[in-house]
Amino acid sequence: MCVLCGEMIMSVHWTDQPLHDVEYRNKKVVVAGESQRDRRRLRLKRVNIANKILGFYGLKMNDWNGSRYTLFDKKGMSKVVNDLGGMWKAASDLCHKNMDRLGPAFLS
Amino acid sequence: MIAGDSRFPITIVTGFLGSGKTTLLANVLQHEEYKNTAVIINEYGQVGLDHRLIRRIEEKTRLLSGGCICCNMRDDLINELKEILNEKERGENDMDRVVIETTGLADPAPILFSILMDPLLTNRFYVDSVVCCLDAANGELHLQNNPETLKQIVTADRIIVTKTDLVDHERLHQMHHRLHHLNPAATVYGTAHGIIDPTVVFDKGQNSQNNRLEQLTEIQEKYRDKKVEHDTEVRSMSIKFYEALDWTAFGLWMSMLLYTHGEKMLRIKGMVDVGEKGPIVINGVQHIIHPPHHLEDWNGEEKNSQIVFIMKGLEPHQILESLVAFQNILGSAPYIEEINMNPYGG
Repeated sequence: MCVLCGEMIMSVHWTDQPLHDVEYRNKKVVVAGESQRDRRRLRLKRVNIANKILGFYGLKMNDWNGSRYTLFDKKGMSKVVNDLGGMWKAASDLCHKNMDRLGPAFLS
Repeated sequence: MIAGDSRFPITIVTGFLGSGKTTLLANVLQHEEYKNTAVIINEYGQVGLDHRLIRRIEEKTRLLSGGCICCNMRDDLINELKEILNEKERGENDMDRVVIETTGLADPAPILFSILMDPLLTNRFYVDSVVCCLDAANGELHLQNNPETLKQIVTADRIIVTKTDLVDHERLHQMHHRLHHLNPAATVYGTAHGIIDPTVVFDKGQNSQNNRLEQLTEIQEKYRDKKVEHDTEVRSMSIKFYEALDWTAFGLWMSMLLYTHGEKMLRIKGMVDVGEKGPIVINGVQHIIHPPHHLEDWNGEEKNSQIVFIMKGLEPHQILESLVAFQNILGSAPYIEEINMNPYGG
């Protein structure tokens, strides 16, 4: 469940899946929040890289308390997104463009 | 089975009508160690299987609004899997793995999607592998005329060519080659009368890398394409990276690619070197990506990322250009290992 708004999150996007899942499932004792620091670091890094791409479209992404992302355009419009799966959709809605990563405009 | 994982493996067996799925299963399930396999059958008509834990379901699909074909939920399957799980909890059966036999015309993608997206199932089951049967005698025809077969082959982790006793050696050899070009990520086996080592069907799923080396040499073998008669628009490409990739950046790149071109990417499979001790295994069918899996080590292989893309209606150079444009962010430049422009064009 999202702690910010109480929305149920039914599935975890693959980019958010823990990579050491097997290790985790093997554990006898799980300390609450033990890998939070890594997770937050990963999210910040992701935001950083995403902004390099989104900057091309005049958008900016922020991490929201480690549970959501917020997406802004330069006119102050914003959107809340759960994960990268929803992010690209929201981003193309915000900039009113089809974000074709293979598009020649983007590549050049 | 992954050690220490309490989830149950699911094997999905696909193949066109009459490609020998049932014969194969009937043979494999005879073995003592697989007696607790629950079998879910999706086929009408006579069941040729004599097995303790057998179930039949009728295909029922829930269409998600706005989703593409691969994002349909298979309600029938979800309910059945939950029912099996309930019985297991009540102690009514000793299920330790599940086999799903699809209809000959089924697209495996919705099945994968259902299992991976259901919050209960994804924590109790994992998809071990997708096995596809192909009839040695009629397979070529099926591949050319039925888009379903093509999809099944492309989705498969392992392809089993059945009825090998019906055709000569030369033809079989040719078929193996073409299958490798169609889906370089899969391993191809042959069988006659459905008799095959059961570990080929089970146990060596996407999580194992035993077959990688063998596969690689196979991929690298040269093959002269026949003259193209009609274009299936299917392209497969294998790309190598000689330096470690940034996993976060790779996730961004992939999710962006899948957002715009998910329906055209039939299959993505590979190992990604992220600069850690072992690689990350990625395996995706259209929009659906299996949870990435981190391996302990490289098992003596070269530490190079290798990714196979199979796509329809998308040109390999587009992907490549995009990878080149992203190389600064990703951390390594792509190198083409092989491109097949029309692996099954006639």
